[in-house]
Amino acid sequence: MKPTASRFGRPAAVLALAGLAAVVGGCAANPSNGVTTLNFFQFKGEALNDFNAIIEDFEAENPDIRVIQNQVPEADTIIRTLLVKDKAPDVITLNANGGFGKLAQAGVFYDFSDEPVLETINPAVQEILADLGNKEGEVNGLGYVNNANGVIYNQEIFEEQGLEVPETWDEFIAVCDALVDAGITPFYGTLADSWTGLPSFNALGAYPSQGDFWDQMREEGENVGPDSEVSFQKDFPDAMDQQYQLFSYMQDGYRGKTYDEGNAAFANGEVAMLLQGIWAINPVKAVNPDIRAAIFPYPAVDDPDDRLLVSGVDVVVTMGKTTPHKEEAMRFIDYLFEKDVIEQFAASQNMVPSVKGAEISDDPSLQSVKPFFDEGKITGFIDHQIPPSIPLASIDQQFLYSGDADAALATLDSEWAKVAARTIPVTGE
Amino acid sequence: MATMTEAVRASSTGGTARKRATRLRSGESRAAATFYWMVWPAVVAFALFHTLPVLIGIFFSFTNYPGYGDWNFIGFSNYINLFKDDRVLHAYGFSFLFAIVATILTNVISLSIALGLNAKIKARNFWRGIYFVPYVLAILVIGYVFQFFFSNSLPKILAGIPLFADNILTNETWAWTAIVALGVWQACAFAIIIYLSGLQTIPGELYEAASIDGASPWRQFTSITFPLISAFFTINVVLSLKGFLQVFDQVVALTNGGPGTATESVTLLIFRGGFSGGEFAYQSANAVVFFIVITIVSLLQFRVLQRREADF
Repeated sequence: MKPTASRFGRPAAVLALAGLAAVVGGCAANPSNGVTTLNFFQFKGEALNDFNAIIEDFEAENPDIRVIQNQVPEADTIIRTLLVKDKAPDVITLNANGGFGKLAQAGVFYDFSDEPVLETINPAVQEILADLGNKEGEVNGLGYVNNANGVIYNQEIFEEQGLEVPETWDEFIAVCDALVDAGITPFYGTLADSWTGLPSFNALGAYPSQGDFWDQMREEGENVGPDSEVSFQKDFPDAMDQQYQLFSYMQDGYRGKTYDEGNAAFANGEVAMLLQGIWAINPVKAVNPDIRAAIFPYPAVDDPDDRLLVSGVDVVVTMGKTTPHKEEAMRFIDYLFEKDVIEQFAASQNMVPSVKGAEISDDPSLQSVKPFFDEGKITGFIDHQIPPSIPLASIDQQFLYSGDADAALATLDSEWAKVAARTIPVTGE
Repeated sequence: MATMTEAVRASSTGGTARKRATRLRSGESRAAATFYWMVWPAVVAFALFHTLPVLIGIFFSFTNYPGYGDWNFIGFSNYINLFKDDRVLHAYGFSFLFAIVATILTNVISLSIALGLNAKIKARNFWRGIYFVPYVLAILVIGYVFQFFFSNSLPKILAGIPLFADNILTNETWAWTAIVALGVWQACAFAIIIYLSGLQTIPGELYEAASIDGASPWRQFTSITFPLISAFFTINVVLSLKGFLQVFDQVVALTNGGPGTATESVTLLIFRGGFSGGEFAYQSANAVVFFIVITIVSLLQFRVLQRREADF
């Protein structure tokens, strides 16, 4: 190391670093030059362009705010890394599943209880969010658009066969039998993708698990079993039998078919119904844009008025608790919830907007579920209440292959007990 | 060829390291430095990307870390709960069953094919190339091809046999045999190469002498061939068993652990339970136990197999 080199080298490096720091610091959100930059964490890949358009319009109306959308894959993992580093984004969208509930309970999101925008949202939607978990006494997320998990049916086939939408379980089975007699396969099963057994499980299992079933299950913890107050073995046998009954109306070889094959088959009119949620409509329309497909909720009851539509909050909007730009972030969120903005977004994503009075698009699949949203007859996904370490999709798939409901329910109870026993809560010390 | 076989022999006979002549010591300081510089980057990279994460994983197995946020030390609770978890025990049972069956089949089939490829058959090099092709293909990709084959083609070809007609991959009791078939099909390629190189080290005069003495082909195999390739046999068996115990790609491609959790191997359970299942620390403990199990099994194998090795 020659002395002359280091004589100029070291001070020059320090100067360069200082200059760089000054430039970078100046680039950060600096209100003094008038423009606040918001970091918008966005999880939904399909919604990237929709949000870009929304942001453009918002920035045109609000020249003092810039919104930068970060669309991330694996959002559940990445939001956690950001939170751990205390770098919570300003505005966040996430899928409202069990993981979101856990984060909300940890108190990392803003409390919207006093915000006026909350009043404009359908209370049934907020209830579904509340069931997932909030910090004690707070409202930590605003439901944006909801999906619908019912039975997708081909309206043309139903009209040709003179079939009405079934409103009770007996009517549903009668419809299936009528289709079989007419030589049409009622459903297309895709059990090679084990998760496709879950939409029907979630919908049928929603009925026996209303009220405080899940709270009681959590209280039972490791003692859950056939003799406890609530358990899978006690409360779910009917739902399992119903699911097995539906799967007896599947096409040959349903065990080896995949989700994509199912969507294509339904789109081509090979079967009359699909046990999938509204998220499958877009892929179906990609194969056959002219199909007329609508949705009815699983009528696992004897009284049509007791029917419930299973719906999850597909996109929940929230804010980091520690964001330094609360006001600007709230302005953006208020803009998102304006009627025409949310209507356009929901129509493009084929989902149901959460704002009271917002028009749902004309798509028959959405119009068919509108009444349930208006009457508040919606309930959440039960698999959000089951810990992800329990292999629910696998257990359900095995049950559908073997038909042994007792074994499946016993497995579910034993897994629940094991997870409860080995989950040692973090005390945050 | 000679270098590889000698290296194999030297390493597997637990060999006595021959003493080097001391005269190499003097005047080699420049050469020594170069060798160090060649070795150090690899050691650093290995430590950083392998040893450090392993140590961190072992550390977290004593906590309740969910992969993010806060955590506490909980001592050996994870390990105790592991032994009470029947899903974990089932995964170990399946992995061992699969590994033992696949190892036996792979080695028997590979040795047979290698014997054939070593003999004077027509278009010998062409056949050697063909048998090597499975090794070149990506496991996951060929796995999906097999999945299609088992789910769609085989039911039509063998429609008479109910086991295959109903898609063997969805059969709780027999799905594992399909995974064995794929695993063996692919692992044979590499094993054949090793056995082939071993067979080529056996001098032909031994066979000539034996046949003059009236030994049958089977006697020649058991008394000449097999003892002399025992070092290669050891390597193949150890590597096969270790590789098959860690089966992952084949399971994901064919059954994804299904039906239910019937074909869930230990590695698949660790990956699923640790990440999407949110039980990072619990499955880290599982990974530590698995590591210890594989180490013990491999060391036992070395001990047993090395004793019976012959040299000439």
